[in-house]
Amino acid sequence: MPAESKNLVVLKVESLAFGFPGRTIGRDVSFSLAAGEAMCVLGPNGGGKTTLFRTILGLLEPHGGSIALDGVPLGSLSRSEVARRIGYVPQGHSAYFAFTVLDFVLMGRTAHLGVFSAPGRKDRELAARVLDSLGIAHLAQRPVTEISGGERQLALVARALAQEPGLLVLDEPTASLDFGNQVRVLEKILALAASGISILFATHDPDHAFLTSQRVLLLAEGRALEIGAPAEVIRPDSLQRLYGVSVEVLPLAGGRHTCLPALR
Amino acid sequence: MRNERTLNTRALTYLLAAGALVALTALAFAVGRYPVSIGEILSLMASKITGSANTLPANVETVVMQVRGPRVLAALVVGAALAAAGTAYQGMFRNPLVSPDILGVSTGAALGAVLAIFFSQGILVIQVFAFAGGLAAVGLVYWIGSRLRGHDPLLALVLTGVVIGTLLGSVIALLKYLADPYNQLPAITYWLLGSLAAIAPRDLGAAAPLALAGLAPMLLLRWRMNLLALPDDEARALGVDTRKLRTLVVAAATLMTAAAVAVSGIIGWVGLLIPHAARLLVGPDFGRLLPLAMLLGAAFLLGVDTLCRTVATIEVPPGVLTALIGTPFFLWLFALARRSW
Amino acid sequence: MRLSLFLLIFISGYCIGQTAVTDASGREIRPPAKVERVYAAGPPASLLVFAIAPDKLTGWTRAMRPNEAEFFPERYANLPELGRLTGRGNTANVEVVLNAKTDLIVDVGSTGPTLASLASQVQEQTRIPYALFDGRIESTPATLRALGRLMGNEREAERLAAWYEDELSQLRQRIAKVTVHPLVYYGRSASGLQTGGKGSINVEALEVLGARNAAAEARPGLVTVSFEQVLLWNPEVILTTDPNFWSSVWADPRWRAVRAVEQKRVYLSPHLPFGWFDFPPGANRLLGLWWAGKLLYPQAFDVELRAKVSEFHRLFYRREPTAAQLDALLGEPGVLPK
Repeated sequence: MPAESKNLVVLKVESLAFGFPGRTIGRDVSFSLAAGEAMCVLGPNGGGKTTLFRTILGLLEPHGGSIALDGVPLGSLSRSEVARRIGYVPQGHSAYFAFTVLDFVLMGRTAHLGVFSAPGRKDRELAARVLDSLGIAHLAQRPVTEISGGERQLALVARALAQEPGLLVLDEPTASLDFGNQVRVLEKILALAASGISILFATHDPDHAFLTSQRVLLLAEGRALEIGAPAEVIRPDSLQRLYGVSVEVLPLAGGRHTCLPALR
Repeated sequence: MRNERTLNTRALTYLLAAGALVALTALAFAVGRYPVSIGEILSLMASKITGSANTLPANVETVVMQVRGPRVLAALVVGAALAAAGTAYQGMFRNPLVSPDILGVSTGAALGAVLAIFFSQGILVIQVFAFAGGLAAVGLVYWIGSRLRGHDPLLALVLTGVVIGTLLGSVIALLKYLADPYNQLPAITYWLLGSLAAIAPRDLGAAAPLALAGLAPMLLLRWRMNLLALPDDEARALGVDTRKLRTLVVAAATLMTAAAVAVSGIIGWVGLLIPHAARLLVGPDFGRLLPLAMLLGAAFLLGVDTLCRTVATIEVPPGVLTALIGTPFFLWLFALARRSW
Repeated sequence: MRLSLFLLIFISGYCIGQTAVTDASGREIRPPAKVERVYAAGPPASLLVFAIAPDKLTGWTRAMRPNEAEFFPERYANLPELGRLTGRGNTANVEVVLNAKTDLIVDVGSTGPTLASLASQVQEQTRIPYALFDGRIESTPATLRALGRLMGNEREAERLAAWYEDELSQLRQRIAKVTVHPLVYYGRSASGLQTGGKGSINVEALEVLGARNAAAEARPGLVTVSFEQVLLWNPEVILTTDPNFWSSVWADPRWRAVRAVEQKRVYLSPHLPFGWFDFPPGANRLLGLWWAGKLLYPQAFDVELRAKVSEFHRLFYRREPTAAQLDALLGEPGVLPK
């Protein structure tokens, strides 16, 4: 459930070392996320964003340090308990089977169901509400294999929301989406944060950080380079370090900023 | 909420399938090499239900209660079991080309039976060896497959299944080579072709509870099994212990298939085609798919077996007919259906 | 000079041995002048070669088990195992055959084109003459004589052939006196549902006896039938070669409905050292004819089986069975009516 108090720490990561069995690819990552806070993890491909997220979700064993969810160590939680607190929106999804979008979203209810139970009326109503809030209620009976990439991304978000999580983890949610859908997803992220759900999302586009997040973590080669407010952290020199290319950070009206590549 | 039209079509599909099954069962009881009239069957049933004596010739009672009855019921059980196992595996391996034998249960059962025949054992021993062989083969495959770290767990299982299956198959080939060509080799050949001809009431009494024992967990976990269709990470993030669930699915499917193969020999295509056909009709949700697959599987095998035992004086191997009838029927269904599998 | 002398001797030696014989498949066989070592390609052939001239047999197709070996003189029971060469499944290595310094390869059984071409192929490969003979029961005397001629043991072969002919003629006389022909079903395999249709080699003994095969309407060859079919035929006598089937038939509620089981006329064929009925499909089936004849037509076949078995063993296995061995053979449950 979304935490009531804005000050409650939903996720606390301390000196985390992460990687695959036998291979550590990241170290010394520390940050904490409060209720309703949106944090963006910015970094190049292969920098460790996905591995970091999978470790936070408990899908990979941490190699060092600690992770705590709502103050409880991650290791002490069962898969169900983790699923009730964190919703995961993965990057891209190849649909194998033609489940309807509604059935697909209902899968998110699994953590709230008994081992031998199937979703009931309440679950269906909740799923329908979630679909509606994302503007894809009209797709409820369409097979997941027959909708567009952007619609599928929204369905994935819907499924994660059906888990009624306090924290939403999205791995490059706008990858492979057209401009319009990208904007819609970013708007949704803002709205969700405003409603009290914490957001942790990975992206490679600095403008996303400027648009949606209170804080940004720069992650390259598994190391957290900097962490802080976007305006402070996203600078030409830090981005040069991160991506190896020159950019210009331009201020806009209303205290906002944007990033522009300085093409040669 | 739910699409009213889809609900009605689905209900209609179930009703038709169930109706076809009942009709086929009645037909199967009514036909056979030994002539028994419908009236005789009905009066026999009546006397059994009311517990009163009947005036029918002894042979009629033997045919209906000891021979045809168990065989019809066994066809239903075996057909439903193979279809259920195939459905579970196709979902778990996310692949419509998967059959219940992908982890080697049929090959293991075959090896058990061939060994028993090679050592001139009776039917009970052959069946027990077949059952044990099927369980042992999958146990071995699962044990090895889960030790192969660093690979996609499903791929590891499939590859191990193929390798062990081939190994067991070569042992079977060796036994066939060494077997007495006059006596044991024909017996081995016939067992491998599969048949319900020798079904006795005792066989049904053993196979049905075992198949049910395998079916129960699948029915109870039918919602969670849908999540096996997702990539492993996603399913785990949604709260499912995928490793435990997969183990349970494999154990349940193996139990059902081993029980079926032990009494009927190897009957192919039912476990592969029927789940596919059912999915084309009602979609992939396991809770809707499983009952329909079982209905269709039972009806299909019953139809095939009834043909096998009535079409000629001699018995036709069911595996031959399941392929001959099943493949065109499936192609027709595939062409008609509009949804993807 | 020496080379031409050598060639002359070689060619003349080659010519002397070449009296061409036509075997039962129509192929011309050129045996060497003296045949000392004969390889028998299958059990029916082994039986006949052994009977005619046991010292010329190079080996058995399968090593003898102790319960089979006790019916043969020890020095022959321990002959090497050489494997089968043709028929269903080869297990013999052609090199092994060559290594055994074979003069002649013999097979008794089918003489059709497939086996004939296989024999010709092996003959070309090894340069050893390969003769095929008819394995049917009634052709046994002719096969014995032809084999004897080929091996150079006409006298021995004639003795055996004459005896076999006499036995067959005795059988025919008794069969002619039979008035009642019961319906017989031959059930093989543990389920008892495998049987032989009309003309199938598996029920050749039944056909020689003029018995009514319940499965006559099935196609020739080995077939599986459903239980309902057996019940429909409702045979009066059941013969089987599977001990598991024989012992299970009495308690099985399905089989109890069959007349033969009701009247306790289900019999198990003896199987040592060579089976009496169906397999191996060789001259050994003579004993099966007497046995089945006695079971089917008790009045016409009032014969003493012990004497028949003794005589056959003495002639063909070269060892008279002891009283204990006869008791064991005939006393096994199911062989004879109680």
